[in-house]
Amino acid sequence: MKSVLAALALTTALTLPAVAVSARPVTLTTTLNAYGGDGAYLVLYVTDPQGAYAGSLWMAGGKSKYYKHLTDWFRATGGDPAQINGITGASVGAGRTLEITLDLADALFDAGYTLHIDAAVEDMRDSPNEIAVPLTREGAGTPVPGRRYIASFEYGM
Amino acid sequence: MMKKITILAATTALTAAIAIPAWSLAQRPADPAGHALAALEDELRELRLLLASADDDDDTHHRRGHDDDDDDDDDDDDDDCRGTACRGGGNPAPAGTVAPPQNGLFAPGAAPKAQVN
Repeated sequence: MKSVLAALALTTALTLPAVAVSARPVTLTTTLNAYGGDGAYLVLYVTDPQGAYAGSLWMAGGKSKYYKHLTDWFRATGGDPAQINGITGASVGAGRTLEITLDLADALFDAGYTLHIDAAVEDMRDSPNEIAVPLTREGAGTPVPGRRYIASFEYGM
Repeated sequence: MMKKITILAATTALTAAIAIPAWSLAQRPADPAGHALAALEDELRELRLLLASADDDDDTHHRRGHDDDDDDDDDDDDDDCRGTACRGGGNPAPAGTVAPPQNGLFAPGAAPKAQVN
């Protein structure tokens, strides 16, 4: 009896976090312009309804020495690697498309949260807040143009 | 008078005795032994220069353990990692090697997947 109770407690403890955050698969698609430079560093992050940094979704570019060029994100995080451990990949070449699929918390949609992308390319101008798009269910699937390096960004759900 | 002539003859003979061998030595082509000696002297001089040069290049005394040279860009790049630029230390862990951060944005345990087309 005791072992059954222990097993039940364990499975409940393991299941609870997954239930606590209701999430849905979301695909974030970022297509870069043919800007004619090296691979771009991109960071995708979210701010809350007050505009405060809420967390990072993805970092494209693995060398922390370049993170200072992702100026808005860097200002919010100090370049702290703990913010992007396990969600960091390679930089993205000019003209290429980065597609990220993740289980995003439902609570982020239609609640005043904004998804931002900062971009930077070596020997070229930094481009903070290149994309700033409110996370709404209605906005899903609508391409948004960037200002400098990003041709378009959209999220699909 | 005889005495003066005797002195003049003696000095002339003495001068000739010294000058003629010296002049002939100066005119004689260099001998192989002389060449070898000169070459050996040159080698020794070069060796001394090399040793002196090796001392100049030994940077370990000045850099205290940093035995790299300034032309190594990779290592110099890492020097950018100072202060808040690398708070928490070094580069982040790549996706797939550790769990994503528990920032409340993701479903726990679900790692994002990325591809570049």
